[in-house]
Amino acid sequence: MSETNGKGSATPLLDELEKGDWPSFVTQIKEMAADGNEQCQQLLELLERSYREKIGHWKHGGIVGVHGYGGGVIGRYNDLPEEFPAIAHFHTLRVNMPTGWFYTSEVLRKICDIWDEHGSGLTNMHGSTGDIILLGTTTDELEPTFQALSEADFDLGGSGSDVRTPSACVGPARCEWACYDTLDLCNDLTQTFQDELHRPAFPYKFKFKCSGCPNDCVASIARSDMSIIGTWRDDIRIDQDEVRAYAEGGMNIERDICGNCPTKCMAWDGNELEIDNSNCVKCMHCINAMPKALRPGVDTGATILLGAKAPIVQGAQLSSVLIPFIKLEPPYQEIKDLAERIWDFWGEHGKNRERVGELMQRVGLGNFLEAIEVEPLPEMIAAPRDNPYVFYEEYYEEEDEEAEEEEPAAVP
Amino acid sequence: MAVTTEQIADAMYEMVKEVQGKKKLKAMDLTHAMIDRYGAEGCDKKMCKAAIRDLIDNDRCVYTYFGGSYIELPHEEGAASGG
Amino acid sequence: MDTQRRTDFGPPDFRRFLPPVIKDNYGKWKYHEILKPGVMVHVGEGGDKLFTVRAGSPRLLGTKRIRKYAELADKYCGGHLRFTSRHNVEFLLTDEANIDPLIKDLHDLGHPVGGIGPAISSIVHTQGWVHCHSAATDASGVVKAVMDDLHEYFDGTKQIPGKLRIALACCLNMCGAVHCSDIAILGVHRRPPKVQQGLNKVCEIPNVIAACPTAAIRPSTVDGNPSVEIDESLCMFCANCFSVCPALPMADALNDGVSIWVGGKVSNARSEPMFSKLAVPFIENEPPRWPTVVQAVRKIVEVWADGARPYERMGDFIERIGWPKFFKLTGIEFQKEHIDDYRYAGLSYKRSAQLRH
Ligand code: SF4
Ligand code: SF4
Repeated sequence: MSETNGKGSATPLLDELEKGDWPSFVTQIKEMAADGNEQCQQLLELLERSYREKIGHWKHGGIVGVHGYGGGVIGRYNDLPEEFPAIAHFHTLRVNMPTGWFYTSEVLRKICDIWDEHGSGLTNMHGSTGDIILLGTTTDELEPTFQALSEADFDLGGSGSDVRTPSACVGPARCEWACYDTLDLCNDLTQTFQDELHRPAFPYKFKFKCSGCPNDCVASIARSDMSIIGTWRDDIRIDQDEVRAYAEGGMNIERDICGNCPTKCMAWDGNELEIDNSNCVKCMHCINAMPKALRPGVDTGATILLGAKAPIVQGAQLSSVLIPFIKLEPPYQEIKDLAERIWDFWGEHGKNRERVGELMQRVGLGNFLEAIEVEPLPEMIAAPRDNPYVFYEEYYEEEDEEAEEEEPAAVP
Repeated sequence: MAVTTEQIADAMYEMVKEVQGKKKLKAMDLTHAMIDRYGAEGCDKKMCKAAIRDLIDNDRCVYTYFGGSYIELPHEEGAASGG
Repeated sequence: MDTQRRTDFGPPDFRRFLPPVIKDNYGKWKYHEILKPGVMVHVGEGGDKLFTVRAGSPRLLGTKRIRKYAELADKYCGGHLRFTSRHNVEFLLTDEANIDPLIKDLHDLGHPVGGIGPAISSIVHTQGWVHCHSAATDASGVVKAVMDDLHEYFDGTKQIPGKLRIALACCLNMCGAVHCSDIAILGVHRRPPKVQQGLNKVCEIPNVIAACPTAAIRPSTVDGNPSVEIDESLCMFCANCFSVCPALPMADALNDGVSIWVGGKVSNARSEPMFSKLAVPFIENEPPRWPTVVQAVRKIVEVWADGARPYERMGDFIERIGWPKFFKLTGIEFQKEHIDDYRYAGLSYKRSAQLRH
């Protein structure tokens, strides 16, 4: 056991990270280690060792989980189990957060009670995908933890080759720019695809992220296979009095608003702000800058983009446009059918560990669209190809030509 | 050829057993193999899904994860042993 | 086994946890204003007001601290709070008079208030040595050191031209998908995987070979046993092979470290979303406080804060001044590693004579 008294600290390097103004994760682990929590004590010592040796000491487990699910638990073992037996197994549970990360103090305490009883008491609020991360417990405690969580109405999130826990921005709960109900859609997709989320059946992971407007507060265009980004089709709503109030307050509307508009579709004459809405690309800049004066239109919906991912395996990608505009109302059947068609094609043709975006690249967007029954549109590309190596799919044989000549032309 | 979910589950189980330790199979691999074997009329994706669920729920197979998810026979976790 | 065992019921419905003011104004918010650093008010069509106080957090939280958050929510917010996608905690108030006492309590607990509007928000990050098997650096430690240095940009003590988003991932897996951040700190390996004995007992060799995007892995025989060998000249240290086969460890105390990337964004405001680009190819791991990383990040922040126009993000700023000038201003040495040599590399070469001299 560690010596913390008399001979100085057992964690001199980590102690350095308790200094400074930003809240310290070391303090968090120490707080939990304070009253005899062995897992946290040994975690500190193991981490100190990593800091000394400049190397991690964790191994990935591939089997542990709760009965029936193939996702939601990340197996972890340390590579020095004799020295650190309390954290020899130290698995993570991913718990599906309430959409939008809203909590009451009551439910937060409930989660704390469960985790104090069954695990290390350490968490991430939240993990990168959005789940509540319960950090560290033994194999034996996995099933009891799940049992306790389910009594509190919390289910596990995704991991592995499945639908990962969908996430959404704060949406209509607290944002005037939400162009659709991100929370409701996200919650609905999560509930609809429970089987796909818990029983990995895909070539690799699949993420949905729902952002209410093109500011994309959940980074869907960078981080989700299907990015659902709110937008509108009609005119930006303007309150000219409020525009003038911003100007009087010192805002340089000409330079900072009109000058920053990507399509230069705005004009300010010192009194009225004019927007050529037909050329507005819904970038949100002017609205962000003058929230009291400008608002998105009222004919709202979303753009659906496909294929974002981090570099693994073939390189990073941003999502690209699949559906330029879609109305999003419950029961959201259109988007669910679309997802299923994509999964069918991907399941049929995807290679092991190939994300949808990579498949799209490999087969070509054109072929991909055909397979999922979506018409190609100019909105899907930044520009048409500049390379002449076209895979034309049809040509006539000489006999066809003769046949054609005999036929009278259909269109005069 | 009409087959039952149980028959599909048994056939899948045999497949997994045969390659255990040599090759890892994914849910999709099993599904494709079954549709090839029994034909699309007798065996569809839904049945295959049910068969996999059956294998897992009855502890005949487990999900594993090594950079991707697989279906294997239950076995000792390699990483769990010391060193 | 418990007969009551439920599965596939999903998360509790979020509507259960919304405060009354949100239930009343759901989808009916009119506008918002930033009142001071870390505090904003949303005003409903009917005039209702919802105040939000945003506090930075270390992301790794013990239940004791979470219980403290719950206490504060009870004391000031009728028990309601939420978290953000960047690990901040937000307290949702209806009584304006509670804002300052709440901020004082948060400060007493050691949590800075800020991160709203033109500010540096919390760093999105991954697990690192605390809990990850493939980490090339720690995550929480680097983040703590960087934020200690930059906290004045979080709490509003220092003004900046626009938003600046920093993210850290401890390896190329990028659980934090950092590749579209104004500044991304990325853990990197620099030595090819070491093939361990008995690999064929742990891993299926065809899977291992197929895992490598550059076909650097070939079958071989070691002491009569099937194994693999790595063509080191083809290895780009992505660790895909390690992800599918634990017998190919990449972590290496001597050679692991971090790289720094700049100029990415996800928002569509003004310019389109873009990837971050390589600024610093490699910095050694220097636990516990990674001083070289901290300095490099600060320098980049300062160059941007000095030179950027209002609202201009890092990537837009660099595009305007040009990359040569970015390297000059930051003092970062331009090296061979900066030039892409993977797929479509040529797209990032300068294909015009438009240069600043
Ligand atoms: S939303 Fe963007 S494109 Fe549209 S008018 Fe405003 S600044 Fe211009
Ligand atoms: S690290 Fe990546 S490039 Fe190197 S051998 Fe492994 S898979 Fe191939």
